[in-house]
Amino acid sequence: MVKMLHLSIIMATLFILPTVSLAFAAETTGEYLDRKAEIWNLFFRMMTVAFVVGGVIAGTMVWQVWRFRESNPKAKPTPYEEKGEL
Amino acid sequence: MVLELKKARPVWQIMFSTHHTDVGLMYLIFSILAMFIGGAMAIALRVELFAPGAQLIEDSMSFNRLFTTHGTTMIFLFLLPSASAVGNYLVPIMVRYKDMAYPKLNAIAFWMIPPAAVLVWLGMADFGWYANPPYSVISSPAPAAEMWIFGLKVLGVSSILGSINFVVTILKCKHPDLSIGKVPLLAWSFLSSSIIVLAAMPTFAAALLMLLTDRLGATGFFNPAVGGDPIAYQHLFWFTFHPEVYVLVIPAIGMMYEIIPRFSRRPIFSQGSGIFAFVMLSLVAFASWAHHMYATGMTFTEKTVFMIGTLAAVPASAMHVFNFLATMWNGRIKFATPMMWAVGGIALFFAAGAGGVVNSAMPLDFITHDSYWVVGHFHLFVFGTIAFGTIGFIYYLFPYVTGRMYNEKWGVVHFILVFVGACITFFTQHILGLYGMPRRIYDYPEIDSWIQMNALISVGAMIMLVGMGIFLANLIYSSAKGKPANLHDPFGLGGKYYYPYEQRNPHH
Repeated sequence: MVKMLHLSIIMATLFILPTVSLAFAAETTGEYLDRKAEIWNLFFRMMTVAFVVGGVIAGTMVWQVWRFRESNPKAKPTPYEEKGEL
Repeated sequence: MVLELKKARPVWQIMFSTHHTDVGLMYLIFSILAMFIGGAMAIALRVELFAPGAQLIEDSMSFNRLFTTHGTTMIFLFLLPSASAVGNYLVPIMVRYKDMAYPKLNAIAFWMIPPAAVLVWLGMADFGWYANPPYSVISSPAPAAEMWIFGLKVLGVSSILGSINFVVTILKCKHPDLSIGKVPLLAWSFLSSSIIVLAAMPTFAAALLMLLTDRLGATGFFNPAVGGDPIAYQHLFWFTFHPEVYVLVIPAIGMMYEIIPRFSRRPIFSQGSGIFAFVMLSLVAFASWAHHMYATGMTFTEKTVFMIGTLAAVPASAMHVFNFLATMWNGRIKFATPMMWAVGGIALFFAAGAGGVVNSAMPLDFITHDSYWVVGHFHLFVFGTIAFGTIGFIYYLFPYVTGRMYNEKWGVVHFILVFVGACITFFTQHILGLYGMPRRIYDYPEIDSWIQMNALISVGAMIMLVGMGIFLANLIYSSAKGKPANLHDPFGLGGKYYYPYEQRNPHH
């Protein structure tokens, strides 16, 4: 739990706090246009990351379903099957 | 755990019982009934939209009444009660208490639902499940609208009573030896979703009262003709109903947390991250309601705030998915029917989340707003994720409730048909939206691409209909004639359960 908290603080500092300024009202036209470009830029970067991560996770899930299925010849009993508490 | 149906008891004894498993059984049966009624309405809608021109439904008003009642039924009468069914069965056992904290209140919360359902079903309002003014104030015909408003009011009170019960049961009645961090994640999901209901629902309760008094002519809160603001209603509505999406999805994720470790034969990878993600989702649920309203003339800054607020749900959702994947890793996964539904639900949850990122980006939202994209996105989420988790859990609970096993082969056929049907239907709806077809229309022009895609969507819906028919037959037949289940380990997984059926709470 403590580790998760520390990780969250680091993630917030690195990725969330720098974008908070975007949430405040733009006061001049130039600032408004810059802000628009910045947000689109941020969005495209996020989408690139999201699609890469999505592809990896979807692929992992398909592989896991194939590899760790009960009928796979390589499947081994887990330590929890007979006596472990699930 | 529980064996209501194996040991015959008079129906009235179950109906007037306040025991948590009896109330859970009533929630379960009612929610399955509502699912089939709502599903029949969906099929009627898809038959109508199979081709341009009138096919089955005579006029647009009947079509509007049908989709309104379909949406209301599925959300309020199927998904919410089915989650309550699971919570009633398992939460007291998981926190090691003899019953829910307030058993009579629990039974009252259930018995408020059937009369509300009758109001909704007999009224058949026509304004969509949003009931957006000014139409709902000025033009929507009476008494259907009033019946819907009263019905929803009653359902809201029922939800609040149920939520109070879950919160008190988990926080105040759990066994002293059980620390809150060790409470199973399914119970945590009910704690999170109940707190969201308690924070969000009063807003909609107020909005419904204001809508009613507007319709009676006593006030003009949302009536622009007398200086009211229809947009104010949308804020009140979405302040409740965006969090409500999380109220529906969080218990479904909790159900997956039960199924996935069990069928992977490994413990949950990280209990702490599951709890953290539930708490995070509960908080960000309230940071994103106005992303439904980008098209109402909000300022750029407001839209940016809600866009960031919406995207804040992504890390918490991803934590759940990573937790599931890490739990399955190095397991020996048995793909019995419940596990298939859970894994299928995770896959569609991921796809629905990707579509949600597009919706939440305000410039792209203007392309998809009020189009079939939104219908596809919403259904992929609500059906593909929440109903998948719920149906998987119904299979999981089946042997404990009836003492018999369902037919595994037909369970798998059911899953395959519904998964394929859902992909055909809901992914095509996304594309149809990008081709410009608006939602909630009774008829459409003869554009080739629209005709082809609508036909494909209807075929997908029919495939799901066949699958759900098999499900119903399997439930009915197996509960009477299925093989007796080995209740120590009905799925043949090995290991020990932390709530063996012998620990069932005595009836009172």
